Amino acid sequence: MDKDFINENKTIEEIKNTFHSAEAKLQRKNRIIVKLRSDLIPPFLSYAKNYLSFDHLAHFSCVDWIEDNQFELVYILYSYEKNIIAIVKTRIDREKAEFVTVKHLWRQAETFEREFHEMYGINFTGNNRLTEFILEDWDDIPPMRRDFDTMQYSKENFYTRPGREDAQDVREVITKKSGEKIPDFAKEFSVRKLK
Amino acid sequence: MEINWSTILGIIFTPIIAFIVGVTYGGLTRVITARVQNRYGPPIFQNLLDIIKLYSKESNINHGVMQHLGPVFAITASVTTLFFVPVIKDSTVFTNFSFHGDLIFLLYIMVFGSLGMALGAGQTGNPNSAIGVSRGLSQLVGYEVPFVMALVAIMIQFQTTNLNDLLAVQDHFTKWIIFQSPFAFLAAILAFLGMMGYAPFDVVIAPAEIASGPPSEFGGKYLGLMLTSRSIFTFAKLVLFTDIFLGGASDFITLLIKTFILYMIPVLTGIVFPRYRTEQSIRFFWSWPLFFGIIAILVVVF
Amino acid sequence: MYNDKEASKIVDIIKNFARKHSLWIVAYGTGCGAIELPPTMTSRYDAERFGIRGSATPRQADVLLITGYLSVKTLKRVIRTYEQMQEPKYVIGFGSCTINGGMYWDSYNTIKALDRYLPVDVYINGCMPRPEAVISGFIKLQELIAQGKADGAKRYQENLEWYRENQRKVIKNWRMPEYNW
Repeated sequence: MDKDFINENKTIEEIKNTFHSAEAKLQRKNRIIVKLRSDLIPPFLSYAKNYLSFDHLAHFSCVDWIEDNQFELVYILYSYEKNIIAIVKTRIDREKAEFVTVKHLWRQAETFEREFHEMYGINFTGNNRLTEFILEDWDDIPPMRRDFDTMQYSKENFYTRPGREDAQDVREVITKKSGEKIPDFAKEFSVRKLK
Repeated sequence: MEINWSTILGIIFTPIIAFIVGVTYGGLTRVITARVQNRYGPPIFQNLLDIIKLYSKESNINHGVMQHLGPVFAITASVTTLFFVPVIKDSTVFTNFSFHGDLIFLLYIMVFGSLGMALGAGQTGNPNSAIGVSRGLSQLVGYEVPFVMALVAIMIQFQTTNLNDLLAVQDHFTKWIIFQSPFAFLAAILAFLGMMGYAPFDVVIAPAEIASGPPSEFGGKYLGLMLTSRSIFTFAKLVLFTDIFLGGASDFITLLIKTFILYMIPVLTGIVFPRYRTEQSIRFFWSWPLFFGIIAILVVVF
Repeated sequence: MYNDKEASKIVDIIKNFARKHSLWIVAYGTGCGAIELPPTMTSRYDAERFGIRGSATPRQADVLLITGYLSVKTLKRVIRTYEQMQEPKYVIGFGSCTINGGMYWDSYNTIKALDRYLPVDVYINGCMPRPEAVISGFIKLQELIAQGKADGAKRYQENLEWYRENQRKVIKNWRMPEYNW
């Protein structure tokens, strides 16, 4: 097999030549990562589909970077011809969450965008099907945003049967048993702290 | 006016016996299916328990008059069919109303139940019911044709439409019509598979696809009536086939043996086969069974 | 002479016997518990021995199995299914999600106690309960029916206001048809 990743490097080279501001790098075999400014995404995806033969939108996801006040949109493209996965990342503003649709390139993007509209509150201009999708009658902030407190919402809206107050934290029990310490990054996810 | 007590006795007891035998056969079917699938299976009287439970439901919702009448039509057709079939040969009690011309009458009355069901199911307004009814009536058209062919062949051959005359012809087992006119029997038994509604011809009540089809909106006593009607109708059809092809039965033991053997044909076929679509089943009925029916008529005529 | 009370008692015993041995389930199949039903019904555990059988529509069914967590959206459909069933009808809560939320205890979209919204006759514990546990739950229900204690439908009618209040609290946009069950 080609250990020099000829195919991948050639694709990266082509991307860099066309989009100078794109950060493209090889992640591992058959997989490249491209980071782009958000306004370059529609031309880049169109270019990737038409000239680089990335025919397939395999997945489309969203990450909430609340620390940076940004949403990250991740398009995962696949090329049957080159057998390469391209992970295209971009960041958009979190406060005024708006982006353009790519449903004219891949029809399945419409459903993903509907989901992000419901779960993250991102408005995709050009997509006219941003209606109620999975949640029915939702009246709070979109639930997948990280500033939404699901515990709080659950306590307020749903009856909690008593009897779970003495539930133990698995992490604490295990560390106590083996005499280890809970690492700092894990402490903030502990049940005790939430109480 | 002279009161014929034996006829009255027959009218009272024939449906009860038919119900008990039909229900037991239904339970046997479930046990046999379970054993084939390597299961223990329910008790043999499970269908009886189901029917009692359905009758003892406290609420029975209905959507109109026709939904009341649909199951009633079905059970009327079953009991009427039963009354015009001589259950026991030469018996004064169980001969009931078999009179001249009864084969043609039976052909009509056997369809009546399905039509009544269709009307009742149409009232409920459930789309699954409508689909089931259209499938059922299409399939009815499919299997009625070879069945009528077979009966016509027998009518021509023996120059009678009376079941009692047919029974009189078959006085020795070598003279049974199954041996005298085998092609008619083949056509009729293949049509019988469709009549019983077991696989591969159970697309009408396909539970996973159209939610049990016509009875999907029927619950409680309506469903109970339907299951009762089905049990009686099963027995009536089995007795009819025994009378026409297997020389009838002069006592109950013979009747049970013959009907059981006949009944096992659709049941065992049903266990083995998957399901035909409607147009596939019609294509089936209009190919081989129809072919056998035509052969039977040709053999008789020439 | 003929005693009215005694006769109705005998009829009740026969009725309860038939009901007990003929449980038709409309397996709604919410959550992950629905996967436990195929082994329960097929040759390994064979629930048909006890007269338990699947039925295609709620009109024909006796038992509503809630097999796992119930999201608010599903709860709406479950209530409609339950109200279409004919009395006497029974509800079996299946798995810890229906009892106290289970692993979805802090979820924003699942209810945590099923008996606030529907009258539950039997709970089966476990995550998920194995087919043995399911069958033992059904046998418990059969015992309750034989004693005449499985009166979920009656409780639902008597406390309808309370159940409706709880349901409306969760289902915010109430667009449900009224059934005259």
